[in-house]
Amino acid sequence: MLQHRRAFLSNMGLGFGSLALSAMLQREGVAGFTPPSGQPLHAPKAKSVIWLFMIGGASHMETFDPKPELTTYAGKTIDETPYKDVLTSPYLANERIVLPDANGLIRNEVFPLQVGFKPRGESGLEISDWFEHTAQHADDLCLLRSMWTEDSNHGAQLQFHSGRHRLDGFHPTIGSWITYGLGTLNENLPQFCVLGTPLADCCGGQEAHRASYLGPRYDGVPLKVDPNDPLPYARPPQGIYREEQAAQFDLLGKLNRLSAQAHPEDEQVQARITSYELAFRMQTAVPEAVRFDDETAATQEMYGLNKSETKEFGQHMLAARRLVERGVRFVQVYHGSNGGAGGWDAHGGLKTNHTANCLATDQPIAALLTDLKQRGLLDETIVVWATEFGRTPGSQSGDGRDHHPYGFTCWMAGGGIKGGIAHGQTDELGFHAVENRHYVTDIHATVLHQLGLDSTRLHIPGRVRLEKEFGHVIPEILA
Amino acid sequence: MDGVDDPAELVPPRRPATMSRLLTLCVLNALIGAGFARGADVDYARDVRPIFAEKCGSCHGVLKQEAGLRLDAGSLIRSGGDSGAAIGRTVEGSLIWQRVTAAEGAERMPPEESGKPLTAEQLGVLRRWIEAGAPFPADEEVAASPRDHWAYQRPQRSAVPLIAGASGENPIDAFVAERQHASGVAPFSETDRVTLLRRVTLDLTGLPPTREELRAFLADESPTAYETVVDRLLASPRYAERWARHWMDVWRYSDWDGYGKELRGSQRHMWRWRDWIVESLDADKPYDRMIEEMLAADELSPGDEDALRATGFLARHHYSLNRDLWLDSAVEHTFKAFQGVTINCNKCHDHKYDPLPQTDYYAVRAIFEPYKVRIDRLPGIADTTQDGLTRAYDAEPETPTFLFARGNEKHPDKDHPLAPAVPEVLGGAFAPDPIELPLTAWFPDLRPHVVEEKLAEARSAVTAAEAELATAEASLATATDAERAALESRVRLASEQRDAATAALESIEARLAADRAKVAEPADPRAGALATVAAQAERRSNRAAAQFAAATAEQELAAAQGAVKEDDAKTKEAVTAAEKKLAEARTKLDEATTALALTDANYTAFGTQYPRKSTGRRLALARWIAARENPLTARVAVNHIWLRHFGSALVPETFDFGLRSPRPQLQSLLDWLAVEFMDAGWQMKPIHRLIVTSQAYRRTSTGEASVVSANAAIDPENLQYWRANTLRLDAEVVRDSVLAVGGTLDTARSGPDIDYDEGEKVLRRSLYFRHAYEKQMRMLTLFDAASPNECYRRTTSIVPQQALALANSVLVVEQARKLAGTLSADASNADDAAFITGGFETVLSRPPSSQELTACTEYLAAERNRLADSSQFTVFDAGPAIDTPASADPAQRARENLVHVLMNHTDFVTRR
Repeated sequence: MLQHRRAFLSNMGLGFGSLALSAMLQREGVAGFTPPSGQPLHAPKAKSVIWLFMIGGASHMETFDPKPELTTYAGKTIDETPYKDVLTSPYLANERIVLPDANGLIRNEVFPLQVGFKPRGESGLEISDWFEHTAQHADDLCLLRSMWTEDSNHGAQLQFHSGRHRLDGFHPTIGSWITYGLGTLNENLPQFCVLGTPLADCCGGQEAHRASYLGPRYDGVPLKVDPNDPLPYARPPQGIYREEQAAQFDLLGKLNRLSAQAHPEDEQVQARITSYELAFRMQTAVPEAVRFDDETAATQEMYGLNKSETKEFGQHMLAARRLVERGVRFVQVYHGSNGGAGGWDAHGGLKTNHTANCLATDQPIAALLTDLKQRGLLDETIVVWATEFGRTPGSQSGDGRDHHPYGFTCWMAGGGIKGGIAHGQTDELGFHAVENRHYVTDIHATVLHQLGLDSTRLHIPGRVRLEKEFGHVIPEILA
Repeated sequence: MDGVDDPAELVPPRRPATMSRLLTLCVLNALIGAGFARGADVDYARDVRPIFAEKCGSCHGVLKQEAGLRLDAGSLIRSGGDSGAAIGRTVEGSLIWQRVTAAEGAERMPPEESGKPLTAEQLGVLRRWIEAGAPFPADEEVAASPRDHWAYQRPQRSAVPLIAGASGENPIDAFVAERQHASGVAPFSETDRVTLLRRVTLDLTGLPPTREELRAFLADESPTAYETVVDRLLASPRYAERWARHWMDVWRYSDWDGYGKELRGSQRHMWRWRDWIVESLDADKPYDRMIEEMLAADELSPGDEDALRATGFLARHHYSLNRDLWLDSAVEHTFKAFQGVTINCNKCHDHKYDPLPQTDYYAVRAIFEPYKVRIDRLPGIADTTQDGLTRAYDAEPETPTFLFARGNEKHPDKDHPLAPAVPEVLGGAFAPDPIELPLTAWFPDLRPHVVEEKLAEARSAVTAAEAELATAEASLATATDAERAALESRVRLASEQRDAATAALESIEARLAADRAKVAEPADPRAGALATVAAQAERRSNRAAAQFAAATAEQELAAAQGAVKEDDAKTKEAVTAAEKKLAEARTKLDEATTALALTDANYTAFGTQYPRKSTGRRLALARWIAARENPLTARVAVNHIWLRHFGSALVPETFDFGLRSPRPQLQSLLDWLAVEFMDAGWQMKPIHRLIVTSQAYRRTSTGEASVVSANAAIDPENLQYWRANTLRLDAEVVRDSVLAVGGTLDTARSGPDIDYDEGEKVLRRSLYFRHAYEKQMRMLTLFDAASPNECYRRTTSIVPQQALALANSVLVVEQARKLAGTLSADASNADDAAFITGGFETVLSRPPSSQELTACTEYLAAERNRLADSSQFTVFDAGPAIDTPASADPAQRARENLVHVLMNHTDFVTRR
């Protein structure tokens, strides 16, 4: 077998990332290909990522990108506004849909803003009144108001994570590239954790946090915020003593080491011994990470665990903090999974819909930012708030908005990202991203850069990555 | 040189002629004369070759040779192409000169749309070069033509090398030894019998050998003991299941996936195709026949329902949301699976590496363009969403196929529809011949069982209605005055229902008779009359049904009116709704009554009818693939088989034998095996037997460190098979082995896919569980099960979640407890050492070493004592329920735990 594999083995146990490397052992050796070392390529600005994904498509104009002209021209068709050029923009050609249906259309009748906005913090960033808590962190937020994607249907959820259109099938996702490129900081926990109910299978399903051809080692591991059942096979069947299982693992280690002696050619034995040691510790470490007994009442209250509206997402935020605190590289948190298109998908009744969704997430997100900051973790943790696309300036069903891939907003905070800025712009209607346009993978590239990686150097032999999968770092937002 | 001077022999132009004529030959000649002195020094490499590269390379280079002509080397320019030599005795007599100086239009090279004509300066260089005798360096290197790529040539049965010292019995060893001798690696000797038995049993059946099989093999001193084992394993149904799973990977098996109950990908009831695969391998059905059935059983044997199951291969590509993606999948994976050709790469442009123009992609798509998928009724099941025969058929024979500019379906080139064809570079004959289908194929509802069931259903409706009427009448006969009104209504309704059911039966019978007459061979003269009768019967049936509906609505209205309460708005709304329903029913009744006056012969057919002809395109494709002349089919197949016995393939990219796959080190072996496979009638079992009885297969994996390092210095990847590779068991084999050694494997074969969530409870082999996007057993995905989307070879990972699965799975713990119970029930295992040996031999198929025996003996002794007083122990605070509790006897519980450890042993998931 390849020499570099042997080098891996001799490095086993020398530091973080060794297990990630051992997983490489099983990949076909390819001359001239050096897999990532598990170390950053340049000095990293951040260690971990908390990736919040609002499923269904949060309206950009009612959250972080106010468009008063919508109110000015409410009820008129876009053609009747001074901005009718948006309907003939070449950007419209970026749309690529899976199947035409009754949604994902351009809606012509301008729908007024459903919420007020105020300038926030010293930066004066305008943020919706539905995000009162998060808005208190305005000076830490970097709003990306010029995002665009291709899919005008909810396959854009998958596209957001892999950079590839739903029609292109499944590809490694941002979390898996990060864990592939960097080793873990805590081998007792999965390096890539997923909280919240994943996407529905319509829209990418589990593939939005999987590693595809990188292999299951880099898949996101869904965790439940339930210390008794946090991940599959986390507990033995009922009635087994901890002590007897410990004795079993002890005997197993002995026997496997005898096997390693008998079969020096077997490069898998050592990795398997390590994986069992890890598994044994994970049985304790994973439940501990999602158990909140040692969090103060004040902390729990700050995250909203005492209120029914905020409890679930608050638990996810608190668990996310505990996970990055323990060295988990990437925590992907879903909000709004409903077995279908997603909870934020406000084709009708946008006001009711977004009020409820913002209520459920705003305080917990703000608590996360506060908590990370007070623990000194925000400097080394990038928080990303994202959604698959925005919503149409025009109305649908009278009081809702349709899917809108041409311009929408995400934000980032912490981890060496400039705070208190809005980068990029949409036009006056919020239709097209017009200034500093960014395809979804520009966020990937930027996050990777802050972690000390270079997205263009992440690949494996035999798998072609398209240009658009790599994305481009957004230099203007780096502190 | 004959013919060079005769432009009439030129290949017909492939590009449309243009009308403009800007330059004439004499003008050109004047220009040339002006610029250059004759006889000046011209260097081929410096002056001439760049001109051809720039002007001609894209069509006459190494990747593409229009008119069989290459202009990327002096020797090739001289020898010319299909029209003969390009260089003649004179400049003007040279074909190349004639074409580059032709007036703009069809003749002129390069064609207008491909590039600008040669400049005067370039023409001058060319003239002087030809005048000088078209010299080129004698040592010129000619880039190999992609058409000469090794994999595009038919495999030849290479002569088996005679190698001193190599056992001459198995040709595989001769080829391997030849390579090893040349490179100097020293192959390892045969492994021990214990390891060998486990290896071959796992490889052929996906299950470890039983303890009895181990003992029998060790006791068999005959020189053919091993061959006896191999024959036994190949004859076992377990072989077919194991290798079915391998081929299911390659053929991209998937049960249906979808959003909730909505079908999106693949199709329902795909398990019938899985069963066909298992049965075919069990019977050792020839591979060429398997290909034909999978791609075209509906054309090859349209009446054979067993064979039709094979078209699950085609049904699997079904994708409800997008027909283009569906067909893309059929094109891509047919060629990857059977041909090792990545034709998917030329959907948007000519292939970057292989000589496959973009048009090849769409010509292949045209083969699949007409096909769709349907579910035919099976006896006893009317609802085809519950069960049925999922099968392919040609639904749209006339649909044209267009090339999509840059692969974008928004830009079809509608001016140039493409005819079905196969890639020209692969040669062979592709001759589709439309096929007349039998009646049962295009009118499946006329199959006797469907007719019978439909009639029986209608008859039983009549019977039920008559019974209801009789009951109602009997009740009325004895009714009190208070009951009378309600019972009269009931009798009236029952009577209407009886009439409707009777009319429906008559309608079905009449329409059946009319359809039968219509399709009769020879033509039935009564067809017209029967159609009229059928139409009338249907109209009567419609009226009777409408009458019954109206009567029902009347009674519902009466009931609603009777239930009205003044203070309850809902009861009033119910009356309004009932009134509306009655009005609609009466309208329909009026329409049905009016229709009775019609006299036409229009009736609803007895069942769905499909096209009477199939295009024959897929059958032609299948025959082209399965032809001996096809250079790839047998090679790709034996390469897949080889991979799964050795853990490394002769051609590493199993789905890409194109130019990115260089000539394999052991091509002579690959080719010999391919020819042997075809000569053996495309049967797989003889190839398996040949492989697993070779010395190359039987080597030990471990050897002297000095030999290992010497060999590794020459061949670090073991591409020359100087030792056995150590392999992690496939996901299904891990789970199935747990069940097998636990002694509870349910060996039932075939049947509908089992819910993937039942994997911890249902003790069937893993291939019988649902396997689809988002519907895979977790235990299997953790161990790198095939992605349902694509898996031409498995990968292997080692992750802690695998350890948790084997350590904590209810299934594994239960099997461990059961096996420990079985072993302890045997009195000869009263002694711990005997028990431990039994455990090792059952779980790991080998006896323990003395160190292992010691470690396990000490463990049992210590655990027995500890468990005897477990008051200090803490139970895990939560966990799944388990049906088989731990033994109450501490000694037995310790034994259970030991067996469980063995099921987690690295050797358990390893094949050495």
